[in-house]
Amino acid sequence: MHAPSPLAHPAKSGSQRRATAEPPWVRRTLIGIALVFLGGFLFIPLAAVFTEALAKGFSAYFAAFSDRVTMASIELTLIAAAIAVPLNLVFGVTAAWAIAKFDFYGKNLLITLIDLPFSVSPVISGLIYVLLFGAQGWFGPWMMDHDLKIIFAIPGIVLATIFVTFPFVARELIPLMQAQGRTEEEAALTLGATGWQTFWRVTVPNIKWGLLYGVILCNARAMGEFGAVSVVSGHIRGRTNTMPLHIEILYNEYNFVAAFAVASLLTLLALVTLGLKTWVQFNAAAEDAPSH
Amino acid sequence: MSVEVRHLTKTFGKFTALNDVSLRVESGELVALLGPSGSGKTTLLRIVAGLEFPDAGTNPASQVLYHDEEVTNLPASQRRAGFAFQHYALFRHLTVFENIAFGLRIRPKATRPDDATIHRRVTELLQLIQLDPLGNRYPSQLSGGQRQRVALARALAVEPKVLLLDEPFGALDAKVRKELRRWLRRLHDDIHITSIFVTHDQEEALEVADRVVVMNEGRIVQVGPPHEVYDQPANAFVFNFLGNVNLFQGRMAGGRVSTGDTEIFVTDESDATDAEAAIYFRPHDVRVTTEPMGQNSIPARIRHANLAGPLVRLELERIDNQGRFEVELNREQWKTLARQPGEQVYVDLQRVRVFAADRTIPVNDFSI
Amino acid sequence: MFTRRRHDVLPGFRLTLGYTLFYLGLIVLLPLSAAFIKTSTLTWEQFWSAVTAPRVLASYRLTFGASLFAATANLIFGLLVAWVLVRYEFWGRSIIDALVDLPFALPTAVAGIALTTIYAPNGWLGAPLAALGIKVAFTPIGVFIALTFIGLPFVVRTVQPVLEDLDAEVEEAAASLGATRWQIFHRIILPLLTPSLLTGFAMAFARALGEYGSVVFISGNLPMKTEITPLLIITKLEQYDYAGATALAVVMLVVSFCLLFTINMLQWWSSRFQRSN
Repeated sequence: MHAPSPLAHPAKSGSQRRATAEPPWVRRTLIGIALVFLGGFLFIPLAAVFTEALAKGFSAYFAAFSDRVTMASIELTLIAAAIAVPLNLVFGVTAAWAIAKFDFYGKNLLITLIDLPFSVSPVISGLIYVLLFGAQGWFGPWMMDHDLKIIFAIPGIVLATIFVTFPFVARELIPLMQAQGRTEEEAALTLGATGWQTFWRVTVPNIKWGLLYGVILCNARAMGEFGAVSVVSGHIRGRTNTMPLHIEILYNEYNFVAAFAVASLLTLLALVTLGLKTWVQFNAAAEDAPSH
Repeated sequence: MSVEVRHLTKTFGKFTALNDVSLRVESGELVALLGPSGSGKTTLLRIVAGLEFPDAGTNPASQVLYHDEEVTNLPASQRRAGFAFQHYALFRHLTVFENIAFGLRIRPKATRPDDATIHRRVTELLQLIQLDPLGNRYPSQLSGGQRQRVALARALAVEPKVLLLDEPFGALDAKVRKELRRWLRRLHDDIHITSIFVTHDQEEALEVADRVVVMNEGRIVQVGPPHEVYDQPANAFVFNFLGNVNLFQGRMAGGRVSTGDTEIFVTDESDATDAEAAIYFRPHDVRVTTEPMGQNSIPARIRHANLAGPLVRLELERIDNQGRFEVELNREQWKTLARQPGEQVYVDLQRVRVFAADRTIPVNDFSI
Repeated sequence: MFTRRRHDVLPGFRLTLGYTLFYLGLIVLLPLSAAFIKTSTLTWEQFWSAVTAPRVLASYRLTFGASLFAATANLIFGLLVAWVLVRYEFWGRSIIDALVDLPFALPTAVAGIALTTIYAPNGWLGAPLAALGIKVAFTPIGVFIALTFIGLPFVVRTVQPVLEDLDAEVEEAAASLGATRWQIFHRIILPLLTPSLLTGFAMAFARALGEYGSVVFISGNLPMKTEITPLLIITKLEQYDYAGATALAVVMLVVSFCLLFTINMLQWWSSRFQRSN
């Protein structure tokens, strides 16, 4: 088949006059409205975080982090993410392998169920663990007898974090691996590779960008989760407060500089996440593009 | 209505798509723009349609004229030129009927026909394209050939003054292609609308068009009726582009051309003396014999014979310089020849064209 | 269910599917079922009075109303932002494109305090708006602002790929048939974008209904006035009214699941719509 010359269709955004483009004043107006909207909802809030954090200078900013309670909240946040992210990573890869590489009945239902935590309010995500493990919950009496504490303790925070970040890796990998099909794995098997070798040498290199992207998003959400963790934490200062919960306490105590200082860390994490995401997408697109 | 372009120049960045192109298409003509990809034929068609605009500020100024009136700066929506796209560009959220009716429904109230008129007009067009039972289908439910016919009907619905088709059969398979281009020829004979179509397929251009415009590298290289451009190609490029061709490199001096150990008399207008020459001939413009017919005969060995099809295609290798070329014989001639692959024959060139050698032109596999 | 349709040569089916179901059951299905089972300890009358108390009804009105307005704002501005990002070249476009996902990456508590600070009566944007007589923070408008923020990426990200894949020839075909730019937009482009617009709208709406972190700071949390349903669940929980909190949660869950079903149907429609050319 004859491929039309790419030059017959110059880039949409070129300076060439095009029959199907808006007049410049329309273009400028639309860009202007979009920028005003994004300004009020994205750029100004973003700028406000850093402005407020540095409102009383750098010394006040860094003083916020010398607080023992603040450091404890950072530590707890890292612990929760360090447990939740690897668990959901293993789950995501496992689920994507089962769903993408095999045909079975109920596959679409399974995909929907995996997505379920996305459509559950964070507050409810915390509540359901209280119902299971709280003092009046199903396992409450049994745990009391065995001196186990989940709710208002670190395990509850970890569980709630796992729940809200549950689908991230899986939902990145499933469509990606479905699109890739299974011919490459089958080829590896015919060449004598074991299942495990096939997975590490064929599958993982093919999904690495999607995997990384899923992990980045999963981590951002794990460190930033507020509602679900708030329900199960009990807000014990220095013990069961994660960074977002600590921000709330500082803010409600009118300690704005400290609140925004901690918030600025999480904001930087968000910006790094977005940067990594853009980088990963750029790399994935570069690998997808046919090489000349 | 006649269509004329004058001194069209169009660049995309550093690439010159059209370089000072002028062309006049008379009312009711069916003209083919023929050329390889990148030759500028699609750009020319899009400028005629008002989908693209020529570079401003060139000297002399680029102009597009419809019926001798200038429309150079009029956008597509105000030109009433019907345009059919290579990939049809049907509106997939509308039925076949609504696709065809689109151009009528969007007219301003003052000139918009009433519903009954639109219905009648669309029904007529559905009959014309022989798809009357399929008005309620969506484009996704049609075959490629059917989609292209709907695209044509949609363009015709607004009663365009000129019909422009960009590779109209390019995306179809060979059989449908043939049917559809005969259908287009008949359609044009019935409605006589000025039509220009773009193609890279010489067979299509030669079969369908009243006149063929051969383009290369942003310029028009030859314009003429199909038999004329085929029989009297203006240069080596056109010869090469229209049909299979063999090329021998040689030298020419005083009306004689030599290639390898053979000298050929040339009746062509070859005023150049002692220059490199490119000798072109078509595979069927030869005589193949078992004994030399004269001094002009080129001895060659049969390397391969393709006996499938109405013609026998021989791949030959010259004895003097091992150059390979292709000839075509009918089955009768092949029988009379009674030679097998590996055996030697003599080839007389019946019709050749000699051009001063131009190495920039791509030559086929049988060149020396 | 979950049985193989055909035998494949690849290994690991039982292991991976088994682990997937086990982990899914343990982390998601078992805890979620707890909410429904807990509710069943209530009689129908108890349940009904718990979920229709005046304070609860007021929270529904605010939550659904503000979510609907926020999703609508995102529908309109999301389309606009997607259009501008896909169609126009301007300075900073790729940075803005990356920043559109900020509401996904920024912790909701951070968004909450940042929005509250700038929309407070003495804030950067709150002060000029207050001068115009518009009070944002600690009113339903503040709830709307927070919900618009967290739903911002959905419509942009569902519409953007569809807009990118839109065939330029389709617009040119319409132009050559005499359509004006506006006619091409609303008769050709908009219908082709509709499934993805609706999907993005439904996603933004679903997300807004359950949102908590970004709202609690800016809303002021006045009962009957600026109290959203998720906050009411927490309030009941803090008062040890587990059954009441769970009843409200079940109402929210049922609504969420219906929305999830709608979104799945929309996506299915959308993908079918995309493929059919």
